[in-house]
Amino acid sequence: MLASIRALSDKRKGKYALVAPATVMILAIVLFPLLYAIVVSFQNIDARTAVGTFVGLKNYLDAFRDARFLNALGNTLFFTGVAVTFELLLGFILAQTLIGHLPGKRFIVPILMLPVVIAPLIVGYTWRMLWDTQYGPINQVLGWFAGRPIELVWLANPVTVWPAIFITEIWQWTPFMFLVLLAGLTAINPEYREAAEIDGASSWQTLRYITLPLIWPVMAVAILFRALDAFKVFDIVFALTNGGPGTMTETISLYAYSVGFRNFRISYMAALTLILIAIVSVAITFLWRRMSANQERMA
Amino acid sequence: MNAKKRIFAFSVVGAIAMVASACAAPPAPAAPAPAAEATAPPNPVGELAGQAKEVAASAVMTAMPPKAGGSAARAIELAKKYAGTTLNVTWEAGLQSQDPLLFSAPEFERLTGVKINVIETPFTELFSKAVADHQAGGGAYDVLNYAPTWLADLADGGVLEPLDAYIEQYMNKDDLNDLHPTYAKYQQWKGKTYGLWDDGDVFVMYYRRDWFEDDKNKADFKASYNRELTPPKTWQEWDEVCSFFTERGKANNEYGCAIQRTAGNTYLWFYEQFRSNGGRFFDEDMRATINSDIGVKTLTDMVNANKNMPPGVEKWGFVEVLQAWMDGKLGMIITWPPIGRWSEGYGLESKQLEWVPKTKVAGKVGYAVSPGGHSELAVGFMLGVSSNSKNKEAAYAFIQWLTSPEISGQRVKIPFALRDPYRMSHFNDPDYAKLWPNAAEYLKVLQEGAATGLADLGIPGAREYEEALDRAITAAYSGGDPKTALDKAAEEWNAITERIGVESQKAAYADWQARLGANAYP
Repeated sequence: MLASIRALSDKRKGKYALVAPATVMILAIVLFPLLYAIVVSFQNIDARTAVGTFVGLKNYLDAFRDARFLNALGNTLFFTGVAVTFELLLGFILAQTLIGHLPGKRFIVPILMLPVVIAPLIVGYTWRMLWDTQYGPINQVLGWFAGRPIELVWLANPVTVWPAIFITEIWQWTPFMFLVLLAGLTAINPEYREAAEIDGASSWQTLRYITLPLIWPVMAVAILFRALDAFKVFDIVFALTNGGPGTMTETISLYAYSVGFRNFRISYMAALTLILIAIVSVAITFLWRRMSANQERMA
Repeated sequence: MNAKKRIFAFSVVGAIAMVASACAAPPAPAAPAPAAEATAPPNPVGELAGQAKEVAASAVMTAMPPKAGGSAARAIELAKKYAGTTLNVTWEAGLQSQDPLLFSAPEFERLTGVKINVIETPFTELFSKAVADHQAGGGAYDVLNYAPTWLADLADGGVLEPLDAYIEQYMNKDDLNDLHPTYAKYQQWKGKTYGLWDDGDVFVMYYRRDWFEDDKNKADFKASYNRELTPPKTWQEWDEVCSFFTERGKANNEYGCAIQRTAGNTYLWFYEQFRSNGGRFFDEDMRATINSDIGVKTLTDMVNANKNMPPGVEKWGFVEVLQAWMDGKLGMIITWPPIGRWSEGYGLESKQLEWVPKTKVAGKVGYAVSPGGHSELAVGFMLGVSSNSKNKEAAYAFIQWLTSPEISGQRVKIPFALRDPYRMSHFNDPDYAKLWPNAAEYLKVLQEGAATGLADLGIPGAREYEEALDRAITAAYSGGDPKTALDKAAEEWNAITERIGVESQKAAYADWQARLGANAYP
């Protein structure tokens, strides 16, 4: 009996020993930086001050008084809302279109997926050339239709800069939505739709009462993933406008980069990123609960 | 709320946000001698120039011989004590780094046995990497390349090692006197020397002589403006000449002028024009005055000037201006010195400059200082020693050697290098003056530009001041009200000043003005 208890104890210790390296690694690369960032955010480290002194909540209070930060926060929410909405709608339409037996589907789907595998920074710089006023093909093609030269300064004009950013972003990330939703649609048992058809349901009713409720769990995850990614957008906006003109398209990540890595205000950057983490955590928790509740209700 | 309603809600919120952004957030009112004792030294610069063209090669091959007892020779003697050591040197990535990679580093290693490890770094990160390494106590770098406006922050932050003791012990003092007096003013901060000057960046106004000398152009211009068609000496003349050429050539895609206007460096042209118009950065209380009447007039004039420039100029950077200029599509540009060399085809056959468009303007280019009579001493480079370096003396030896008259005299002639003349011996180098037919005129204008030029604001937080102003200017370019944009920038400047400390900034600003004299304000 005693021997078997000892063996069980050794077995448990063995388990802990196996898990220990991964645990230490996670603590070292996730928990420690997070805790250190919290400490730094209450100090005043910058290019001139290597050893920070305690300044309390100053950096956090400064952030909420910082018009540029609030502007960046607004831009980020705006960017996330619009981009994810359009990506969802277009992705769903594409998935619905390609769910059936379409000739050439085997070639179309991989081609549609190409933008997702390109690095966002490359996408940004490529589209920057496409949007170019003088040499960009977009103005040239528009000029053919207009019958006169089009000289739109897409990325410096306040009316066109956001649409240009959205088109670039949506071009890259709609395929992600499409793929996830296509997988979700494929997983729906066709018998549900067949039964609905036999009962005389219209296409809209089938979509509304059969497809959407069944695909919702997958759709919710896709929205969550894209929203998280869009909220921390950096690359595409950096390449296209670098936050300009002025600060019109500056997002939180761009602002934090500028504060921390260009001007070396490390403590203030730590405060900004922790505010960002707090916002994202609250948003995720809220969205997840709402989505889970919906899912339970639908079930 | 069901799925349909949620999707609808998202769209509505997105649409409202888009409208709100378009309405409420308008353009946020808101881019290079061997030591005396070296026998039969190879001439790498000559070889590099040989990749370019005969005239270049022959000129560089006869570069100034090494001077016994000169700074280069003394640096080599000092560095030999550290043979076998490796020095980590930061350098701007890309074309800038070709000088140390292909010439300076291998040559220094051959002469001294000290190996140079060139760490290519994007310009904007030269500052943050140096600070980050210092604050981490790393010592990852021995030699630091930095822009002169960063000197105050780097020195105050303890990143840079004071060099006075090394200079006193090892430099030939005659070589200090060889430095152009304007650039010599930059090397100190709070009474200590923290860097050696290494790049005579100054804006030059390049203009198409053939356009200005064309009889029909001259007659038509006189008829329109009741004066002779000459290279502009004031900003008003610049606008008139630019407008004249644009009206004349627009149908053929030719424009009177272009200046890079994209975010990042556009503040430099404001600095130049603002101070030529009589503007000052701060008042006696250290409150920003960039939004003064002069500031608003300057920015309004800059915005209006864009109308005579090529469409989309608001997004033009260095390369776009270069492309159009080399293609013969522009009458005047104001930019850095390398374009003057490339305009004449100097070095364009080299592999490193394959990306530069072939010149259609060789032999047709004239040079002048910027309108207003003062060119911006835009950015530039200095070399310093990291305070965390474990090889400070060897690091100092390397930068003394690099910036010595003999070696720097060769480096400024490397066809694809971006280091520009900054020593009197560079400006008076007879071999440089033969590199292309009017190279002597080019050197004369660079020297005049250095003498009468305006230094970038060089006080703690300089980068932050620059960026705030840059954002305001691009907001105005995109249709924002110049006064509103500058008011916002002035608010940001005041916030930066208050954060760093009003009194300390006042003292730094006073020091900067005192050191730079007429190169701070004309």
